[in-house]
Amino acid sequence: MRLNTIEFLLHEGWEAAVRNGLVTLAAISNIAVALLILGGLVLAGVNLEHMAALQTQKAVIIVELANDADKNAVEQALWDDPRVEDVRFVDKEQAFKQMMAKLGLDVLEKDPDLLGVNVLPDSFHVKPSDPQDIEAVAQESEAIEGVAMARWAKQVTDKLLTLARGIRISGIVMGIVLGMAMLMIVSTTIRLTIYARRQEIRIMQLVGATGWFIRVPFVIEGVLDGLAGGALAAALLLPMYSYCEQYVAQNLQFVDLIYSTQALVLFGLAVVLCGVLFGAAGSLMSLHRYLRRA
Amino acid sequence: MIHLQSVSMVYPDGTQALSGVDLHIERGEFAFGTGHSGSGKSTLLGLIYRDIVPTAGKVIVDGQDVAKLPPQRVPYLRRKVGIVFQDFRLLPQKTVWENVGFALDVVGASRREKYRKVPISLELVGLADKAEAFPHQLSAGEQQRVSIARALVKGPPILLADEPTGNLDPVASWDIIQLLRSICGQNTTVVVATHDREIVNRSKCRVIELVQGVIVRDDKQGGRYDAP
Ligand SMILES: Nc1ncnc2c1ncn2[C@@H]1O[C@H](COP(=O)(O)OP(=O)(O)OP(=O)(O)O)[C@@H](O)[C@H]1O
Ligand SMILES: [Mg+2]
Repeated sequence: MRLNTIEFLLHEGWEAAVRNGLVTLAAISNIAVALLILGGLVLAGVNLEHMAALQTQKAVIIVELANDADKNAVEQALWDDPRVEDVRFVDKEQAFKQMMAKLGLDVLEKDPDLLGVNVLPDSFHVKPSDPQDIEAVAQESEAIEGVAMARWAKQVTDKLLTLARGIRISGIVMGIVLGMAMLMIVSTTIRLTIYARRQEIRIMQLVGATGWFIRVPFVIEGVLDGLAGGALAAALLLPMYSYCEQYVAQNLQFVDLIYSTQALVLFGLAVVLCGVLFGAAGSLMSLHRYLRRA
Repeated sequence: MIHLQSVSMVYPDGTQALSGVDLHIERGEFAFGTGHSGSGKSTLLGLIYRDIVPTAGKVIVDGQDVAKLPPQRVPYLRRKVGIVFQDFRLLPQKTVWENVGFALDVVGASRREKYRKVPISLELVGLADKAEAFPHQLSAGEQQRVSIARALVKGPPILLADEPTGNLDPVASWDIIQLLRSICGQNTTVVVATHDREIVNRSKCRVIELVQGVIVRDDKQGGRYDAP
């Protein structure tokens, strides 16, 4: 394509965006808000799934022994399951200390006699190689002679997964609603431009401009709106997320948000790209509807 | 160059604008299309630049059957046809130079081509000194010259003018018609639709007269247009 042509098309698109002034601003801020919400949902969902995955990976089955159990026989039986990756014995004293430590209590240091009140049984910590198998392995180990019960952190993992699924579903629903809103606002903006420039369009048609040539400036306008909206959303979202991540890291020891500069930059670019795509799609929609004639 | 074979045009609302029109205009010819308001002059021109397609018959422009032209080829037909309207249709925010250059921009011309052709075209219509003026700073006659320059800048083999003098006083009208006549012959075919009897009679050119969508007269040599 000739330089003159590229310059002409860019100039027309740019001029239209500027001439639309307030409407362009409205379109940009609408796109930015929509992408901000969507981006926030995506980040929240990804983090929850990440946490759930971590939980599941960390999760071990605690196989509690009956008082009269044959420890070696149980261990052998546990190892017999091919899905099991690791089996570790934890005696009742160790288990009690661990529990106290987890609860943040230091009573044992003050009064070692308290170990006497320990009602925890001896147990094996069993880790399946695939976290998915956790439930099946737990059920089978419960059937082993000498095992009192098998438990694992089912609730926490399940809750996180449910939450992640909820966020994903609402993300999709919001995505559809907000996506449509973005398309509407962009196509309305472009329609205004088409209306404002109908005389110019008619002349272009009369002097033999091709269909795509007439469309390109409008698509450029839509893309510029989307680009600005996307960039604005990314510019707000990324620092907000960094701040959240830092806050969480400092104040909530047991949660860890994903943090990777590279991933965040890619995410920001994806947000901008999203804006661009919606801008282009919105203007094409409008053109399709209002520029039928050749 | 322009051939119409038993062409009829019925608009979607049922108006019969042309019926059974046979017309042949050769390369380099100059012709007036005349007739009362509503007789079908604009419809005839619209068929030639494929603003509309005939409901019956064939319209062949520069060897191409316009009805068979796929929509994406229409722009290329339009590049061979310069069009001038009664209301000039200039872009008010662009200068004379830009208005003329616009016709080249939108067909993907290079800058070099633009800088070469626009001045030639403006020179031809006698407006080289008004290149930087805006349309509202020009007289009606001058604005019509700009629109002729724009129609000519691509060097089209056909120039159509629909009531080009409709908004002009007699002197300016005569100037415009002289300009259009000077253009024809240099490989350019010119068709002018007008109901200005004075102009047609003074010009002594080919006259095609329409009455209610039918050609009632096609006078090849210096025809007169006497209808009221
Ligand atoms: N788009 C249209 N839809 C329906 N009818 C139309 C349309 N355009 C023109 N007509 C009708 O077709 C007939 C011919 O119209 P046309 O515009 O060709 O006449 P004209 O000779 O150019 O008239 P004028 O001198 O007033 O410009 C008229 O009866 C007009 O009402
Ligand atoms: Mg007319």
